[in-house]
Amino acid sequence: MNTVWALAGVVIKELYRRKDFYVLFVLTAVMTLLMGSITFFNDPRIASYLKDICLLLIWISALVIAITTTARQIPAERENRTIFPLLAKPVTRGQVVAGKFLGCWLASGIALGVFYLFFGVVSASREHDLAVIQYLQALWLHWVMLAIVVGLALLGSLVFAAPSSNATICFIVVLGILLLGRHLNQVALQQPEPLRTVVYSIYFLIPHLEWYDIRDLLLYDHPGLRWTDCLLATLYAGVYTAMLLLGAWLLFRRKPLHA
Amino acid sequence: MNRPVRHSLLLLLLASACFTLATLLQPRVATWGQRHAADSLMKVVLGDGRRLFANHFFVQADVTFHSGYYPSIFDRDQAPKGTRHLTASPEDHAEHDPDPASPGREKDEDHSGHACEMSFLGPPRDWIEAFGRRFMVTEHTHLKGGKEREMLPWLKISAELDPQRVETYTVASYWLRNLGKFQEAERFLREGLRNNPKSYEILFELGRLYNENLQDPNRARNVWELGVRCWDERESKKDKPDLLALDELTVHLADLEEKAGNLARAIEWLQRALRASPRPEAVQERIEDLQRRLAAGGSRPSP
Amino acid sequence: MWQRLCLCQVKGFVLAGRWQYAAPQNNTESGSKNMEVILETRDLRVEYRAQNGQGKKVAVKGLNLKVHAGEVFGFLGPNGAGKTTTMNVLLGFVHATAGDAYLFGVSVREPIARQRIGYLPELTYYYKFLTAEELLRFYARLFGIPRAEADRRIDQLLRLVELEAARKRPIKTYSKGMQQRVGLAQALINDPDLLILDEPTSGLDPLGRMKVREIIQRLKNEGKTVFFSSHELGEVETVCDRVAIINQGELKVEDRVSALVEKHQANLEQIFLSLIGYQAEVTA
Ligand SMILES: Nc1ncnc2c1ncn2[C@@H]1O[C@H](COP(=O)(O)OP(=O)(O)OP(=O)(O)O)[C@@H](O)[C@H]1O
Ligand SMILES: [Mg+2]
Repeated sequence: MNTVWALAGVVIKELYRRKDFYVLFVLTAVMTLLMGSITFFNDPRIASYLKDICLLLIWISALVIAITTTARQIPAERENRTIFPLLAKPVTRGQVVAGKFLGCWLASGIALGVFYLFFGVVSASREHDLAVIQYLQALWLHWVMLAIVVGLALLGSLVFAAPSSNATICFIVVLGILLLGRHLNQVALQQPEPLRTVVYSIYFLIPHLEWYDIRDLLLYDHPGLRWTDCLLATLYAGVYTAMLLLGAWLLFRRKPLHA
Repeated sequence: MNRPVRHSLLLLLLASACFTLATLLQPRVATWGQRHAADSLMKVVLGDGRRLFANHFFVQADVTFHSGYYPSIFDRDQAPKGTRHLTASPEDHAEHDPDPASPGREKDEDHSGHACEMSFLGPPRDWIEAFGRRFMVTEHTHLKGGKEREMLPWLKISAELDPQRVETYTVASYWLRNLGKFQEAERFLREGLRNNPKSYEILFELGRLYNENLQDPNRARNVWELGVRCWDERESKKDKPDLLALDELTVHLADLEEKAGNLARAIEWLQRALRASPRPEAVQERIEDLQRRLAAGGSRPSP
Repeated sequence: MWQRLCLCQVKGFVLAGRWQYAAPQNNTESGSKNMEVILETRDLRVEYRAQNGQGKKVAVKGLNLKVHAGEVFGFLGPNGAGKTTTMNVLLGFVHATAGDAYLFGVSVREPIARQRIGYLPELTYYYKFLTAEELLRFYARLFGIPRAEADRRIDQLLRLVELEAARKRPIKTYSKGMQQRVGLAQALINDPDLLILDEPTSGLDPLGRMKVREIIQRLKNEGKTVFFSSHELGEVETVCDRVAIINQGELKVEDRVSALVEKHQANLEQIFLSLIGYQAEVTA
């Protein structure tokens, strides 16, 4: 476990020593503050549009950070040949996969924490209160969802040769699931038979990332989720991530290190 | 390394930032006197995309009105009305709607229609859907208690993107009036009128603002009469003219004249309404009633 | 001064705590046949799939090597001879097509005790956003070395490879030679019993080379086994007990340096050139 943490530590150091995160954060902050600087119809109490935009930017930025950080990890190890001194140490390939996953997930978590802190400040400054439970639930579920995304990108980085194509594909898949995942069963039912089963199977196989998007609850002052639901969603994500990591490990185990 | 992707993503974000900035700054730039230059530039840059985004933000206002409970494009197969829904909703849900007589409107039916349209969530088809519902808004509610203001920014943004979309101004004005923001409503409607000089819809809404909220029936009359003229100009030659709008204009004019005691004028307007109304019998009844009162010599309004 | 520094540094970590593995019992005087075999290959064959077609490229052909405990073993051959490939097999990065290789008597196909090996790869760009100190601490953690002990070793190693001044600078700001020294430091972080060094002196200035030689000499004196590849025949001659020369994946010769020089009546460079088929020059 110490090995895994050590590997994760390197990934986290990488995150805060690169500029990507800062660029995205500043961009999000600037756009939010810019939108916040306008008063619509002389009513300074209007807040939800601002929260909405801020959360949307946070979702995009978090996906960018999680996917790009993860997608480059193993390819960079191979390209810079750091994988050789690494594997010459008492480190198994499984530990490399686990360490990279943990590092990327924690790194996205740290980034997410910073982003949500900003959101909290923006939200509180407008409305003078914050729905703490919903806020924490949204943050937690968002982070849990990123575990699946990181797992996906890690698996992808072992399947696709170029990190850029991997990142692009991951993006399309994740956005696709977020936007369409909920409705695939409905789409399936409208298809003729052979296609119908195919689409329905996809519906059952994909990770349902859209569950973890509870922005609406946070935006419009709905009551929070039940904690059991949170727990179940967390378990689902855990199982899914474990499967993705298992797949990544199986691939990585056989992978020749020389490209 | 995945430099290209990172860069292209940053580029995308920057592009959207520019887009937002442009959207926000455009009206300001426009007031510096090069409105047409800025306008055409925006058109060239964004083209139809602008209208698409405008529609998106208009829908977003409706989503806000329903606190996030909203059908997706997949659910909207069952909801034929689509985005016209928000324009209908103000009429339906404002119990304190000060307008007493709209003979063309069947409120109860409309309301239940809306409820039906919004009950797009059937019983869950499988466990994934059932579980997913717990993370969604599944209750059909409307903003109230001043919270309606939350939808205004979306309407404003939508109007900035597509100033030719008349609906945006009328809906926003309806809510601004409900929130007691009469000055803001007037300013916004005037802006809409500048962009759509012949819009009888906006003129109708402006008239209601004058008549109901600013207690200025004379200006209301002017505006509505202008509205009817615009309607004649734009709609009368069409195969399928917008009769509902004419009905609303004329009925409101008739009410106004009735209140002012000009019964004969009121009857004239109602007679126009007769040809536009979906329920001419009701209008006919009112005409007959007014004619009786006119014959009885009651030229002064009853208080 | 150089020499003395090296000596005390290396001694310093040989004496260090429990990560010290039992050094081979044998005395360190060069390779007699009955000494413990630390590294061995048996009929090792490695084939690479050719990049373009279905053909294959044989990188190592039936290689037999034996390296004994306490030996410094030079692994020589022209570019593309298969030296790196052989080392990759030893470390488990590449699987042998046929034959087998053993470290400490355990097949490299098994998950071996890498705890006892130090490896310096060729051409590596370490995590460039880390500093030398952080890099070494990271590797120390992989060996489970406690923090205080790791700090001590890092200090010693950075002094040894003369990177103290640059220890807090990110590696991306290092010169090629400095990166190579970081590599050497990381290979020594666990105080290994067997060092596998792939061209340890490449990219180093004359002083740096001499220093590497010194380090290898000290390690030998401490009873460590060193297996390294090099193109610097002069340095190989001075520091190695035995050498093997391979060409196109085949072993040409494996013997003690002194025996080779005696037998061929020439220096190592001339022997090397003649063995890889550069006859004309030698006879001329
Ligand atoms: N990943 C690979 N795929 C295909 N062929 C390879 C691969 N790696 C090495 N080779 C080939 O195997 C042969 C041996 O290469 P190797 O790297 O072992 O040589 P070397 O002795 O280390 O050379 P140098 O002194 O230049 O470092 C070369 O012909 C090389 O082209
Ligand atoms: Mg080599």
